[in-house]
Amino acid sequence: MSAYSSTRNSVSNHLLSALPQQEYERLLPNLEPVSLSLKQVLYEPNAPIDYAYFINSGASSMLNLMQDGQTIEAATVGKEGMIGVPLLLGTTQIPLQVIVQVPGDGLRMKADVFKAEVYWGCPLHTLLLRYMQTLMNQISQTAACNRLHSVEQRCCRWLLMTQDRVELGSFPLTHEFLSYMLGVRRASVSEVAATLQRSGLIDYQRGQITISVPIELSVIFSHS
Amino acid sequence: MKQSIYAPNQLIEYVYFPTDGIISLVNVTKNGGIVEAATVGNEGMVGIPVLLGGDEMVGQAIVQVAGDAVRMKADIFKREVTPDSTLHNLLLRYTLALMTSISQSVACNSLHSVKQRCCRWLLICHDRVKSDYFELNQEFLAQMLGVQRPTVSGVAITLQQAGLIRYSRGKMTICDRRSLEAACCECYGIVKQEFERLLKDGVAQKWNDGNRNGFGLEAQIQQQVNDQLEHLH
Repeated sequence: MSAYSSTRNSVSNHLLSALPQQEYERLLPNLEPVSLSLKQVLYEPNAPIDYAYFINSGASSMLNLMQDGQTIEAATVGKEGMIGVPLLLGTTQIPLQVIVQVPGDGLRMKADVFKAEVYWGCPLHTLLLRYMQTLMNQISQTAACNRLHSVEQRCCRWLLMTQDRVELGSFPLTHEFLSYMLGVRRASVSEVAATLQRSGLIDYQRGQITISVPIELSVIFSHS
Repeated sequence: MKQSIYAPNQLIEYVYFPTDGIISLVNVTKNGGIVEAATVGNEGMVGIPVLLGGDEMVGQAIVQVAGDAVRMKADIFKREVTPDSTLHNLLLRYTLALMTSISQSVACNSLHSVKQRCCRWLLICHDRVKSDYFELNQEFLAQMLGVQRPTVSGVAITLQQAGLIRYSRGKMTICDRRSLEAACCECYGIVKQEFERLLKDGVAQKWNDGNRNGFGLEAQIQQQVNDQLEHLH
């Protein structure tokens, strides 16, 4: 039995905590607590996947790495989700990189164990298929957003999405990292951050971002 | 053209397996902006939410190049396409390939030129219609690429002058596929490779096989669910 708590209510990951207690107990021996550090690479593109990760705190990014070195985020995953959908769908690799963008912790399950234990029809499998759909919705929306919306709007969206996941008013974030997330030059990110800071919506100091007025941020996101 | 198959956030009634037409999965914004997330032809299925259990779609699915498809009622799909079936496993792999394609569009829409994106889009269509010629409305192409119509018009003229395509009065002819591939960004190749990796084995070998659905639907479905399919024209 894992040393981790035996009641699902004490787990922050939304997928695990939504499971019936019996299902959670069945899976628990195979869930290993793991801490996730900033910029830790969970998956490399097209390399074998070793583990599925259920995030309890912090957030990770699924990134497209381009040949010329440009990087852009496809999706953000936090406590609402799982990293490792290829395992669910019958394969063990993906042409994306997955890295930790906000440090935290989670539970991980070995890939071969996942394939054996998370079988079709079990509660976690059913839940994960539905999660897969939300993930695809998120990525589709990002495809539209990156085409149609301003860097400022996209920056607000990203900050709100990340805050939803980390549930903290303040988290570490460098300009360089945010520029990867948005797929724009660092200078553009600095400009937007300065604008938001002057408006009093965020406070951004020494790589730490504090969202002061999330509601106003969402108003800017939808109307600017 | 432009037949909408699903309305956003409505219960999906049918899943569609295109046999020669092309269907676009698009996102529509509040002020009417449309951007394509993915293209589905005879390599795939429209109605993945039915497979995943969500049963509704946030975006829309619209017919982009008219053609035929076979469709199956959603409740019958759920009953007949059981988890132990080959089709079910293929569809799960297809779902991941589709996700890769959408992810690549996130990058492509942000980082690449309209010309590169237009080449990518034409190659994707060319793969699916199995013909060098197809009908394509310019306004529609502009919508798919999320740009203004004059921009698309300019790109089409450039590609035509270079001998890659012929395009007049809504009729598109692919003249020089190799040069089109060279003019395209890496996104096309990345997604194609992933589709081949995930789907080219087993019954999906029919991927390159004339006017058939890429899942080898003919063989599959005749054994499993033949009576349940309806043909569309």
